[in-house]
Amino acid sequence: MHNEMKTPLMRLAKRDGMEAWKMWCIRLGSILLALILGGLVICIVGVNPVTAYGTIISGSLGKSTAIRQTIKIAVPLLGCALAIAPCFKMRFWNIGAEGQITAGAIAATYFALFWAGKMPSWMLLLIMGLAGALAGGVWALIPAFFKAKWNTNETLFTLMMNYIVIGVVRWLQGGPWEGRPGSQIIPQFDASACLPKVLGVHCGWIIVLVLVIFIHVYMRYTKHGYEIAVIGDSINTARYAGMNVGRIMMRTMFLSGAISGLVGFIVVSGANNTLYDGVANGVGFTSITVAWLSQLNAFAMIAISMMLAILSKGAETLQTRLAVPASISDIITGILLFCMLGCEFFINYRVIFRGSKHDKEATKA
Amino acid sequence: MKKIIALLLALVMVLGLVACAASEPAAEEPAATTEEPAATEEPAATEEPAEDGSEAEEPAAEAKTIKVGLICIGDENDQGYTYNFIRGKEAATDALAAKGINVEWIVKYNIGEDSGCEDANIELAEEGCEIIFNNSYGHEPFMLKVAPDYPDVQFVGCTNQNSWGDDLANTHNAFANIYEGRFIAGVAAGMKLQEMIDNGEITADQAVIGYVGAYSFAEVISGFTSYFLGARSVCPSVTMKVQFVGSWSDATEEGNAASALCDMGCVLISQHSDNTTPATTAQSKGAFHTGYNNDMTGVAPEASIIGTRIDWSVYFEHAIETVANGGELEQDWCHGMDEGAVVMTALNEAIAAPGTAEKLAEVEEQIRTGALNVFDTSTFTVEGAEVTNSFALDTDGDFVPDSEEAVFDGAYHESYFQSAPYFALTIDGIEWINSAF
Repeated sequence: MHNEMKTPLMRLAKRDGMEAWKMWCIRLGSILLALILGGLVICIVGVNPVTAYGTIISGSLGKSTAIRQTIKIAVPLLGCALAIAPCFKMRFWNIGAEGQITAGAIAATYFALFWAGKMPSWMLLLIMGLAGALAGGVWALIPAFFKAKWNTNETLFTLMMNYIVIGVVRWLQGGPWEGRPGSQIIPQFDASACLPKVLGVHCGWIIVLVLVIFIHVYMRYTKHGYEIAVIGDSINTARYAGMNVGRIMMRTMFLSGAISGLVGFIVVSGANNTLYDGVANGVGFTSITVAWLSQLNAFAMIAISMMLAILSKGAETLQTRLAVPASISDIITGILLFCMLGCEFFINYRVIFRGSKHDKEATKA
Repeated sequence: MKKIIALLLALVMVLGLVACAASEPAAEEPAATTEEPAATEEPAATEEPAEDGSEAEEPAAEAKTIKVGLICIGDENDQGYTYNFIRGKEAATDALAAKGINVEWIVKYNIGEDSGCEDANIELAEEGCEIIFNNSYGHEPFMLKVAPDYPDVQFVGCTNQNSWGDDLANTHNAFANIYEGRFIAGVAAGMKLQEMIDNGEITADQAVIGYVGAYSFAEVISGFTSYFLGARSVCPSVTMKVQFVGSWSDATEEGNAASALCDMGCVLISQHSDNTTPATTAQSKGAFHTGYNNDMTGVAPEASIIGTRIDWSVYFEHAIETVANGGELEQDWCHGMDEGAVVMTALNEAIAAPGTAEKLAEVEEQIRTGALNVFDTSTFTVEGAEVTNSFALDTDGDFVPDSEEAVFDGAYHESYFQSAPYFALTIDGIEWINSAF
């Protein structure tokens, strides 16, 4: 009796070993719930939700031109999610992908602007890609070095690094790399510095698909991947096992930054053909969600990034055809992410109400 | 546990059923609505040849529908740049409806100057727009990537300049001679300054104008130079200081710049930037002001004398009508007072110098008829000498003009060889406070 008074109305207990089919039921249910909630929002704007969802699908996948645009949106999301995955596995909160993309984009742009025409296109693109990867890697290495040496807070550090590099781009845009004086616009790249198209989309999509396999193998089947997993579980265990934790952190961050930098190269060379301060366009942050939703599984990231790309492209069509504000899609995406991330909570924990059957079991035990 | 899952699933299903049931009958609607435009278009299409054959006397009866795309860098909430386009769009729609052309607009808001702009252009072209306007300077490079794939769609880059140089027949540029409006606003400002000198409120050498500019960009330089020339035409002792803020739209910085200019002794502020903060700052500092893009007398009734803006409806109407009638749209379009593409906002009679309205009407008439040229080379000097030659266009891509002589017949011909402004001379009497941007 006494005991009962102290028990809160609701409490949480860690849940272990849920059957796979149940987990998928919950996940599916959460998506359904998100679609229904999103539908309510669409209703409020005065559009039939079925029409709206139909428009999103047909607008993003209905035509070959639409599919191409959707893939173009998904490519950097996927690439960047792959970049973040090793860091997050290590519980190193790299939220500086935005800046690492931008750093890579700057390096690639340098070669595109000043080395075009001096070498064959394939060589120029290769150098741009390598330079982008190196610049992104070095940009990521700086916070990792401070973390390893002095245990600085990597979340704040990586975040602050974003603003610095974006400031550098602003300076380049209005200063040394500016095209028409006063325009604040860096000229479009020479054709030899632009990624060729394969099946109508710049070939960045092939690069990121290769990266999917690379990351999958790296995380699952290599010693490096194993070390990352151990550090993620417990730094002390890693130390005890004789791992040089600082070194592994720096190595992993360099890899992560390098992949982000490569994404930066893909974005400037493939999509924009120029550099501007919004080049990363929030991808560095959105990809965190992609990585989380796919539970750091490289193959799942393909599906999740495509899903977000479909929503984003579909929302544009929604605005075009039904005059629904494009920001509605942000709301729907938000609801979807909220439900999907929220359902993981229910998979890992269970809610126990006071006086329920489980409660009695728990108190007995 | 199972119970809860079962309950959750049941709830989801019920909700799903309700949602489906609610939308089932309505699901027929989309099909109907998508068919509708096609249905209205078809008779229009079949009517046309019939009209050619039989009676051509009923132009009012023919109802043409044309899909038009408009890509905006912002939305109308900016109360400035994009708002001005939306106003133009609405006025043009009404004017065209009166001519029997129904315009079905598809407007894309908040499109940045990146590959998203390319996607927006593709999307509008795929949706069947026959003409697509891009409203920002930086949209053009992305518009040009899409234009070759849709030769039947006309692409217009407002305020930009590449159509005369690219090899595409379906790309166009448009601008308005806003410098004419600025010259007139300058006249109003100069009259106010002269009145202050005559009343003994300031001495002749204290007649200093402060100008808040976005960037040291030809469009801005052309604008403040014409403004200054307008002021000096009625107040010979006036000088001007220009401060650049490094942004087209940064309310705080624009206000700061205006404030700094007032502290440097400027007694009148004008601007080429998107916000109203220069107007409100001028008012709080006891200075006068003239505006751009929008009537700013509402926010600063004691300071703002007059404003000028581009009336985009003139071009929209012209371009859409041309395309709807199957005509050829010119590569470059630029008009000013002559076609009503540049208009003045209402004069704030309460603070303007006496006789301003009459004077402005007179100057406007002179500009409209061509009797007065804003950039008359006898009215200004560069480093002490009259300008005799200056190139207008850059043909080799190094951004330094190298062809087409702009100075002839005693005047610098602005927006003559291309619609986008190219006047970028630094004339005597105007001091640049900073030129970092």
